[in-house]
This record gives sequence, structure tokens and C-alpha cells, in this order.
Amino acid sequence: MRTANRELALLLPAMLLTTVGFAIVYTRGSETLSAASLVYGAFFLGLFAVVHLARRILVPHTDPYLLPITALLSTLGILMIYRLNAPLALQQALWLVVGLGVFVTVLVVFRRFRILSDYKYLIGMVGVGLLLVTVVFGREVNGARLWVYVGSIGFQLPELAKILLMVFFAAYLCDVRELLAVSTRRILGIGIPPVRYLMPLLVVWAFSLALLIFMKDLGTSLLFFSAMLALLYVATERPFYVVVGIVLFAAGAYVLYHIFPHVRIRVDIWLNPWVDPSGRGYQILQSLFALASGGLLGRGLGEGYLVTSSGRPLIPASETDFIFSAIGEELGLVGGIAIILLYLIFVYRGLRIAMAAGDDFSRLVAVGLSAIFGIQAFLILGGVTKLIPLTGITLPFVSYGGSSIVSNFALLALLLLAGERAVQEEETVRTPVIVGVGETG
Amino acid sequence: MERCTRRLFWFFVVLFLLLTGQLAYVQVFAAPRLNTDPSNTRAIEEQMRVERGLILSRDGVELARNVKEGMYFLRSYPQEGLAEPWLGYNSLRYGRAGVERVYNTELAGEMDALRIRNLLDIITGKPKRGADVVLSLDWEIQRAAVEALGDRTGAVVALDPATGAVLACTSYPRYDPNSLEQDWERLIADPGRPLFDRATGGLYPPGSVFKMVVAAAALQEGKVTVDSQFDDTGSYVAGGYEVANFGDQSYGVHDFAEATISSINTTYAKVGVDVGATTLARYAGAFGLGESLPWALGGKTGVFPDPGTMDTAHVAQVSFGQGQLLVSPFEMALVASGIANGGRIMAPYLVEEIRDYRGSVIEKTRPRVWRQAISEDTAAVLKDLMVRVVAEGTGTNAAISGVNVAGKTGTAEVDEGETHAWFIGFAPAEAPRVAVAVIVENAGTGGAIAAPVAKRVMETALGRR
Repeated sequence: MRTANRELALLLPAMLLTTVGFAIVYTRGSETLSAASLVYGAFFLGLFAVVHLARRILVPHTDPYLLPITALLSTLGILMIYRLNAPLALQQALWLVVGLGVFVTVLVVFRRFRILSDYKYLIGMVGVGLLLVTVVFGREVNGARLWVYVGSIGFQLPELAKILLMVFFAAYLCDVRELLAVSTRRILGIGIPPVRYLMPLLVVWAFSLALLIFMKDLGTSLLFFSAMLALLYVATERPFYVVVGIVLFAAGAYVLYHIFPHVRIRVDIWLNPWVDPSGRGYQILQSLFALASGGLLGRGLGEGYLVTSSGRPLIPASETDFIFSAIGEELGLVGGIAIILLYLIFVYRGLRIAMAAGDDFSRLVAVGLSAIFGIQAFLILGGVTKLIPLTGITLPFVSYGGSSIVSNFALLALLLLAGERAVQEEETVRTPVIVGVGETG
Repeated sequence: MERCTRRLFWFFVVLFLLLTGQLAYVQVFAAPRLNTDPSNTRAIEEQMRVERGLILSRDGVELARNVKEGMYFLRSYPQEGLAEPWLGYNSLRYGRAGVERVYNTELAGEMDALRIRNLLDIITGKPKRGADVVLSLDWEIQRAAVEALGDRTGAVVALDPATGAVLACTSYPRYDPNSLEQDWERLIADPGRPLFDRATGGLYPPGSVFKMVVAAAALQEGKVTVDSQFDDTGSYVAGGYEVANFGDQSYGVHDFAEATISSINTTYAKVGVDVGATTLARYAGAFGLGESLPWALGGKTGVFPDPGTMDTAHVAQVSFGQGQLLVSPFEMALVASGIANGGRIMAPYLVEEIRDYRGSVIEKTRPRVWRQAISEDTAAVLKDLMVRVVAEGTGTNAAISGVNVAGKTGTAEVDEGETHAWFIGFAPAEAPRVAVAVIVENAGTGGAIAAPVAKRVMETALGRR
């Protein structure tokens, strides 16, 4: 099957699953299955069919699995939001349309993908600027400064900044990777580069700690730092940077743990949420209770306890940060693992693009974007399951939030653009008619 | 770079495996512990989704039913507070109390007898429903008790002496369980303790109603007969303590029957001292005073002071129901029912039967004897004395025309304030169908205050109103 058709073939079952989900949730409210419950499903199928066509025209040779995965994740997200808070689902559907619009726009505007590397400093400055705006004008929500408000509309600018900074850092490493990869000595089998080449790492480190201090958010800080570290590792092929980076970050985090109470509270609550079950430990405990009540197979769509009989939501922020807890309650361990696998497949396809990419820039952008996407999913999934301390970041494509969904579709578009060249190169290699291209990256 | 990208992927595989492991741990292995965690309110939420059984009086009046709100069944109490405090409540916030608490297993449909039916319902997709609890309570008698007591602090208990069935039970102040959550702060701060059931839990000095226990001991032990002669001067000194009659009356020469009918303290003090503390304690115990009630609903038990520590003065005081002696209204109702039932006290019960939602009876209470308090002969003598109390003595306000009512008044002195008004009795004396105990706190004399309440309840029970 042609790769493009493969994508269409995968979109169909994804949308069918969502349609059935909506029908289930809908019938719980109204006893009868009316056509209205199918409208959502039909709407999404149409929407993604259009986007699929646009993708087919603009980047015909790219990865066919990423779009169906995001389609399933984002419509499952809307389904869950619809079940939690019906009016919000309509807004989220609107944001999905905007996100897909941005997706197509990015495909059109950056068709000549590698041109981006020429503007790396501009991109980097805009990325840092967005974070600065957040730090200066941001409003604190739940102890973290992640939101900037224009009027009543809130923007989570770090969501966009993460893409820009990844693109910048990938482009930057393209230029300097040869230098950084030089090692003069070896200790314990690990090559040690000259000390002055540690500068980029130190800048990234200081930058991440500054985020932690000023945004008061361990999650965003850890997200940027580990994604950049992953990129640095792939670009230089030096495990040394990873080791030094982890040591530095651990040391920094340790010091900050003792200086800043908000970091300490997060960690202490992670270690023992039962100290304050109705206060600071409330969120994570409710998340665990929700997951536990779901068990292996879940209570079924629409069967979870979302609000108490007095109308108070049982899991706070269940449409955003804790959406996975609601999914785990209703779809069980089986559904939860399915979601985790979808994220892993996304990362896998992203890294496959990197490996097949014909040039360093595409390769590193694909690594950076896949890494930051995967780490973000891991941080929030690990947070709500109490594997790691809870941080207030969104579950990509699933959580409610315009900034999040729009940014992640932009990320997807860039990833597919990076993959387009790759496939072209691959096919070029496979085509025996063209002689003289003996090497690929 | 390819090798490192591959390694990066394996790193992600490890991360996501850890995630999967943690998720499996939380959702499967730790789930039983998390599901029963004290801070987990989901279990209560879950029970709120079960259509809880009704609580009905035996004449079919709904005391507790459900109102569906969204997915939840919220409890509603159509009779407002008239069955409180013992009926209790079922609240998400404040838990459960009373019948709602004690019979929760049945009401929530979790009893063993329902297990197979529940399984069938799960298979056939029917929602789980709790079992209905049918009380022995007669709503007409309950209403009469509530109305007769009015808004005076106190309690009324009515039993069927032949079976032990609780026909009515009320305590004032009460509360409305429908607005429990709004009223909670006020209710727990109220010095009148509306959440507290005075009928089964209130401990009071019994005053002269206790004379029936003393009389039982004296008669059965052969210390007196109804014809034994006494001479009253209005005062009797026992162990340095001077006993006086109510209203400082003096009765002159009289027999034991007269001492009971007119409730003469001096004579009872003499008789009691003659019987002795140990024997009095034994008879109090025989009537069940100080014994746990033979049911799941609890209640406080009375206190008969340790006979070994009682001096003569104390024995004299206890003989007319004062001193360190404390009883609950429910216990006094049981005493009355024992005398009514030939000396046999039937085990009291409040729940007549448990029915599943189809109406078939799962459990039915069979009347059983709790204790043989006194001999049938003694009971017969006491009954005659009590009939005369109502016919010609202190209890005339309890008389019902055309019915032989037996009774005994009590006017218990308290440390502060007006006396407590007591009345115990039963009717009809020949074949008792109802036994009652009434207390009105700090209200005056038993004859004036408590006897009319008892009369109203007995009349209703006998269908005379």
C-alpha cells in the first residue's frame, strides 16, 4: 500500500473508535442514540480527511503513522473532555480546527524546511522572549507561572517556546557539533572534550534552572533541560555531556530544593501525599484513587466518578493536567497502556524520521521534537501516577487547552516536514535509475 | 548519530516501561489498598449510587426514601424529624447514624441473603437495589407520642408487652434529617442535644416509678404483702438521712397497697432497707436494669449503685428511686412490659422484617423472651397495685374510660430545677397490648405532666381515639 493511503487507512479506524466513544458517552445522557451523537465522529473524520489531503499534496512522502496517532489522541481528548465538561469540548474542538489550520499553514510556509536553520538566532530569541514574557507578565496558577493573559484569554507560551528552542538548538548544534564532539582525554572510557566546549551545556543548565526559579515550575524546567540534553547527546555522540548534565541538574535541583519552598512542597507531597490528604496531597491522591477505581479494565466510558454529589469535581483539573487519571478510571489499565503505547509509537516514528533524514538539521530537529514530545508525555503521565513529582504540564494532544493543541500540531507539522526530505532521499536511494547517489546520512 | 538516536529510543522504551509498571502497580496491585483508603470518598460515592432500601413503619408509612439526583440517590425523610433521633441519617458528609447505620448492610443491599440475587441482577444488567427495612413502629402511635410530648424535653417509649415490638419511640428535642448538612454546626452546638436519643440513651433518676422494682423484690421475697401495715409520721430517718414524702404529706396508718397507690416514700424507704441493697440490686438486674439491651441499636444502660458501697441512707434513697440510681426511659418501658406480661420481659425489637425490593421477606423477627424478671404471681399482684394507682391514686390522669389502665407515676428530684415527671404503665390490664414509659424533663409531677402523655399514647394504641 502506498504510504499516503496507509495514513488514510489508519485514520478510518481511529475516527471510528472516537465515534463509538461519543455514542457511548452520549447515550448515557439521553438513553436514546440520536444522530447527534454521530455528528462529532463524522465531523472529525471529515476534518482529518481534509488535512490528510492537504498533507498528501504538501508533503507526500513523509511518515504515514504520525497523523493517525495524533488524530486518535486529540479526538480521544475531546471525547474525554466532552464527558467531563461538555461545553469545554466544543471549545477544544474549535482549537483542534485552529490547530489543524496551523498544521497546514506550517506545511505550506516552511515547505523549504531547511531555510529555518538560517534564521536560528531569530527563532531562538523569539523562543527565549516568549519565556521571558511568561516570567514577567505571567500569572501564577497553582503555584506555577505558566500563563500569560491577554484580556481573559490565557496563553501557555512555553508550549510554543519549546518548539522554537528545539529548532534553534538543533540548528545551532548542526554548526558546532563537530567541535563539541572532539575529545582530548578519556576517563573511564568516556571521552572528555576540552573544558571550553562545556559552555553550551552550562548555558542550557543555567537556563533550565532559571526557568525553575522564575516560573516556579519543575516540569517545564526538566522538560527543556532533558530534551536539550538528548539533542546534545545525539549531536555530539558523547555520553559525557549526559553524565555531566545529569550531575549538574541534580546538584542544581538539590540546592533549589533547599532554597525554594515550592519545589520542596512538590517533592515532599510526592514522597508522602498522605501528610495532607485534603490539602496539598489532595490532587495526587484523587488521581491515584481514580486510577485504582478503574482497575484493569476500567469502569467504562461515562461510568467514572467525576463529581461528588455536592457537585464538587472529585479530580481537580481533570480536563487538563489530570485528564489521564479520568481516562485511567474509565478505560482502566488496558486503556492507559494503550495511550502510553501511542506516545511511544509517536516517539518511535519521530526518531525513525531522524534516522532516515538526509541532513543534520532535519535529523536533529526530528530528534529534538520527538524527545521533547516524549518527555512531556512522560513527565505528566509519571506525575499523575506518582512515579515522579507532579508537575503542571499538559498531556500533548489530549489535555484541554488551545496553546497546547495548536503548538503540538505545529510540532507535528515540523516533524513531518523533516520526514519529507528523508523519505525523498530514501526513495531516491532505492530508485536504481538515478546513479551516483551512493551515500546516505 | 544513528546509534545515539537508537539509544535514545531505547531510553524512551525504558521510561515508558517504568510508566506502565507504575500504572499497573497503582491500578491493579495497590488498588485494593487505595480503594479502602480513609481519605478515599469514592466508596461512599459508590454507595450513593445504589438505590437504598426504604425504611417503613409497619403500617406502611415511608420514613426514609430516595430522591434521584443525576447518578446519585439522595436520602429523603418524608416524615421530617418525627422518627428522630433514633432513625438516624445517611449523609455523605457526616456518615450514618441510627437505623440507617445499624441496618446499612441491609439497606445498601450488601447482606449475604441478597448476594445471589445481586449477582443475577449484575448479569441481567439490573441496577442493584437495597432491601427495605420494615419497622415494628406503628406510625399512628408514634404520631400520638410525638404530639403528646410536644415541645417539652423528654422521651416516650411504647412497647407491645406480648412481643417486645417497639410501637413508638420519641425523644425531644429532635432534628430534621433532610436539612442535616445545613444544620450540623447548630445541632452539635445545641445544649438540648437534638442528635441524642433520650429514649434509649438518656439516664435519669427514676423517682417513684422505681418503686415497682422495690415492690417486686419485697413481695416476692416475702418481706411484705399488700396488706402489711405501716404507720407514717411524714418522716423516716435511715442512717442519719431523713426521708420525707412528696409535698411533706403524712399518711398515718396504711397498708402496703396504699403506700404504692399514694407513693409514700417513708414506707418504701423502710421496706427497701428491710429488703436490703443486695436483693434490690438483684431485682433491678432481673428487670434488665444495667444490662445491655438485646438488640443492635445500642442505647445506654442504667446504673444501680454497687450494693457493697451502699449505706443505709443510700438504700433508703434508692428505695424511692433517688440516690445514685440512674435508668433510661426505654429500660423503664421494659420494666412495665415485664409486669404486664406475667413477669416475662420480651426482647425488644424495632425491625419487624427485611424485604427485598420485590416485596418478599428475607428476614423476619420472631418474638422471644429476654428474661423472666419476676414470678407470674408477683407480676399479678403488682399489676393490681398499678391498676389502683390509676383508678384511685397518683395516676388518675392516665385513666381511660372503659379500660383498666395500670400505671405508676414518678416525680424525680434533680440537683437543679424542677422535678422530672415520670409515668410507666400498660393497658388493658387484663390483656395488655401496650406498655409505655414517659419522661418529661424538669416539668413537674408525674401525675400531672407525664400521665396525660401516657394516656394519649395508650388510647391511640388501643384504638380509643
